[in-house]
Amino acid sequence: MNNFETVAKVLAEYKEIDPSEIKMETTFEELGFDSLDIVEIIMNLEEAFDLELEMHESLVDVKSLISYIESLQAKA
Amino acid sequence: MMKTPLCELLGIEAPILQGGMAWVADADLAAAVSNAGGLGLISAMNADAEWLRTQIRKAKAMTNRPFGVNIMLMSPFADQVAQVVVEEGIKVVTTGAGSPGKYMSAWREAGITVLPVVASVAYAKIAQRSGATAVIAEGCESGGHIGELTTMALVPQVVDAVDLPVIAAGGIGDGRGMAAALMLGAIGVQMGTRFLTAHECNVHPIYKERVLKAKDIDTTATGKRLGHPVRCLKTPFSRKIMKLEADSSVPAAELEAMGVGALRKAVQEGDLEHGTFMSGQIAGMIHKEQSCAEIIREMMDETEQILRGAAKWIK
Repeated sequence: MNNFETVAKVLAEYKEIDPSEIKMETTFEELGFDSLDIVEIIMNLEEAFDLELEMHESLVDVKSLISYIESLQAKA
Repeated sequence: MMKTPLCELLGIEAPILQGGMAWVADADLAAAVSNAGGLGLISAMNADAEWLRTQIRKAKAMTNRPFGVNIMLMSPFADQVAQVVVEEGIKVVTTGAGSPGKYMSAWREAGITVLPVVASVAYAKIAQRSGATAVIAEGCESGGHIGELTTMALVPQVVDAVDLPVIAAGGIGDGRGMAAALMLGAIGVQMGTRFLTAHECNVHPIYKERVLKAKDIDTTATGKRLGHPVRCLKTPFSRKIMKLEADSSVPAAELEAMGVGALRKAVQEGDLEHGTFMSGQIAGMIHKEQSCAEIIREMMDETEQILRGAAKWIK
């Protein structure tokens, strides 16, 4: 699975929807995520990617999430 | 005499923190709470470094006891104010609206006790991992920005999930609430609303009057549609917001724009038509103005009496 597929899977599992509904442009607002949801999702993503993530206000959609994860993978 | 590990941790007599309420928690209130034996806090809110530095120095001139600073991590000046607390030798920082991870090493190096406010177990775990000293578990009974869980449900779950001391916040208005918080596993409490009507609190007289007159059902949570609910008193303004929020044809941006500056208008101008009067659900329990010293003494006496009397249930 590439990064997008993994993120889509994590988000879809959290929201109990089909991963095909998650697009690169999908925003957290569209998914109805509040800040508490985002913390939960961050924890789930950490497990999926084996990375330590921080909360950032710039994380607002799938695209920003993936570029953040890729920046950490590049450092690792 | 009542004493908990929080007293030792923060160098205070009463295990009571004053909430870091934006526009409300200034040097006057913080110094008064600290002088009364609790831990006063100055809110750095969205202000810049110089404003905070002035408030800190003012508070230092009013008390020799420790006081803290609340830093709202979404503030555009967060980087600056995070540095100011180090430069000014502040010993306790509470944080809200995010994870303080990026400042943690600088703060811990400076010997600062870091207490993030958390609204869920996952938040508390992230706070622990980032090096927090303890966490403030805040239930949605509180005023201002709130999560979803109540203090009764949140505190024990956070206590079980992390290896850090837990301070309870939200819905605590008198000694009964503090005693209950200790029973849930907390080592102390944070109170905001109770201090709103303190003599030393500089909010507008109309704000105090509204809190004093409030009944149990007089708060509501606006901003749910925007994903960041805020508990405030029911006023002409909050009722209008609620109505617009329910109307899906009103764009979110318009709702956001209405909230800008609304807390300041309530605190400084007592403006019922345009201001957000943030308040917790315990407003209905507050019936008089008191000094911070009276509030803290009453809290401690009531709590001690209740805890001593608790054995009556064991037969």
